[in-house]
Amino acid sequence: MVKINLKSFIKKAETQLLITSVATQLKASVTVEDETGKTIYGTVDSVGTNSFPLTINDEIIGVVKGDDKASIIAHLLTHLLTKEAEKKKLGAEVLNLYQEINLIFNFSEKLAQTINAADICTVTLTEARGVIPCNNGVIVLWNEQLKKLQVAASVSPSLFFSEEKINEKVNLLSHLILSGQSEIYNNTSALINAGIVLPEVHSIIYSALKVNHRVMGAIILASDEDVQYTAAHLKLLTTLALQSSAAIESALLYEKNIKEAKEREEAMRLVYEVTGKFVPYEFIGALGHSVITDIKLGDQVEKIVTVLFSDIREYTSLSEQMTPEENFKFVCSFNERMGPVIRRNNGFINQYLGDAIMAIFPGTAADALCAAVEMQKQVTEFNVERKAAGHKPIQIGVGMHTGPLIMGITGDANRLDATTISDTVNIASRLESLTKHYKATIILSDACLQLIEQTENFHLRHIGLVQLKGKQQSIKIHECFSGNTSELISKKQKTLAAFNEGVDHYLNRSFSNAVQSFSEVAVLDPTDSTAQFFLTHAKQCLQKGVPENWGGVLEMSSK
Amino acid sequence: MAKKILIVDDEAHIRMLIEQTLEDLEDEGVEFLSAENGEQALEIIEAEKPELVFLDVMMPKLNGMEVCRRVKKELQRNNIFIILLTAKGQELDRLRGQEVGADVYMTKPFDPEVILAKAKEVLGIEN
Repeated sequence: MVKINLKSFIKKAETQLLITSVATQLKASVTVEDETGKTIYGTVDSVGTNSFPLTINDEIIGVVKGDDKASIIAHLLTHLLTKEAEKKKLGAEVLNLYQEINLIFNFSEKLAQTINAADICTVTLTEARGVIPCNNGVIVLWNEQLKKLQVAASVSPSLFFSEEKINEKVNLLSHLILSGQSEIYNNTSALINAGIVLPEVHSIIYSALKVNHRVMGAIILASDEDVQYTAAHLKLLTTLALQSSAAIESALLYEKNIKEAKEREEAMRLVYEVTGKFVPYEFIGALGHSVITDIKLGDQVEKIVTVLFSDIREYTSLSEQMTPEENFKFVCSFNERMGPVIRRNNGFINQYLGDAIMAIFPGTAADALCAAVEMQKQVTEFNVERKAAGHKPIQIGVGMHTGPLIMGITGDANRLDATTISDTVNIASRLESLTKHYKATIILSDACLQLIEQTENFHLRHIGLVQLKGKQQSIKIHECFSGNTSELISKKQKTLAAFNEGVDHYLNRSFSNAVQSFSEVAVLDPTDSTAQFFLTHAKQCLQKGVPENWGGVLEMSSK
Repeated sequence: MAKKILIVDDEAHIRMLIEQTLEDLEDEGVEFLSAENGEQALEIIEAEKPELVFLDVMMPKLNGMEVCRRVKKELQRNNIFIILLTAKGQELDRLRGQEVGADVYMTKPFDPEVILAKAKEVLGIEN
């Protein structure tokens, strides 16, 4: 009901002016009294016998006193008061609506600040409790997967049952809540009897949370006091529910998206991890890419690298004694030992070719030689294990060459392969083959040796010239025996001078001297198979003689 | 002497809303004055010397900032409490509001309760 302050109204300048001018015109003397009889216009001693009421909606809020003419002023004032009351009523309604707008505005602002479903529920409940009289509230969400109602936000201590207890009545409750309705229960006896609410609950008001006709839950407010909820309360609650439903839905979708994105990321990470094992990242990196998905047919890069080839000696006969499964396990356990050695020395394995390994060292030639030496030492350790298990020891030969290499992606649109194309690879591979003939463990080309700065870190000896199959030019080769056992190393060191002399004599066609030097070595170290190899060749040359143009080059017809 | 509140806004419904919000103060003998532009506001301030002014910023002719600056800086009426009102989203004006000497700065839509509480505080009316 609109209340008009008569005193303020009469005191207004325009009202004063009106009464005064009308009274003057009518030659009337009037006083106005409020409902308590207090004079608020005119003087008490004014002549006045008649009393005319001032009413708003039939309610007397004051009187105009004076002679008969005062009735005109009373009518006039009543009319103005009625207008004033109408204006105030309208104003009150507008203010009410404005308050609602303000509420929704603030609520939207708060919702916009959070993307977490639980927080949205808490904000909604807090806001609802701020505008609707209640001393308890809860927001329940329906979990379709679990077929359960879950409490997303609540006021504690709660007038409601626990989540567990709620779900005992899930059928009844979901019938009520998931019907998508909004309701007021100012009398809760039916709900109490059905065991849905606690006996203390006096009044309940609830609104469904729904998006696109899908009911996701409800916001429920309750009071244990005699609160009579009205349609206006319900309107406010449904407005809040509508807003938060959309926000909760977005939040849940967002959470789902994040979860899925994380799963996809994890799957991608695994794929990258696995592909990195098939195509080394060094390879991809050398092509100027950071991820394998960037590579394309025709990508290529040329680099100076050291290529290392290793092979297990007499692998064929060794594998004949094994079942295919044993064979596979053997190769795996061998490769497991070698892979880390290569990576540790800044190389990467370009290919495993059965018992052979092809590795690339983009850094220094010394990296490759260190790896080769370590690989030989690994074999020694491996043999200790093999011996303990009753297996024969194995031997590997390692060949190395430094030169240009093209790494690239070949194949066709549907089948790509990371390939290396290079003569350097062929040479390295053939040097590895030579280890069988020279009975050496590691053979490196002179091109490789020239790039090693600190040769004093390695035990090296020159082992002559060789012409590889299909090659015009002969190349100078060296043996590295740092991978031998310390006993063998010291023996080879002792005979090194004689050995070097032998090689020099041999290359200078002074075969008798060569035979003498290598015999010297053979006497001191009968295990030096390389010296034996040269001794045999020098003897042959001495016996059969050599052609005029003989330059000491060993021609290798086999690969 | 009756305490006076001046409400300045070019939009009639905002003036009405503020007046409606502060309705209860009428019982405390507070008188409401209103102006619909800056020039009118200055005239009323000069003539009536209200204790409190609700001043909209965005107005034709003379805007609220300018009215505030003249009252506070030129006329040195520091006993007149000025509450600047501006639409939400234009909060950048806040700094300028301080520069021109506004006492309080509020955004529309305003919270009626906040406005009533502030008016009571300024006029020294107990709750």
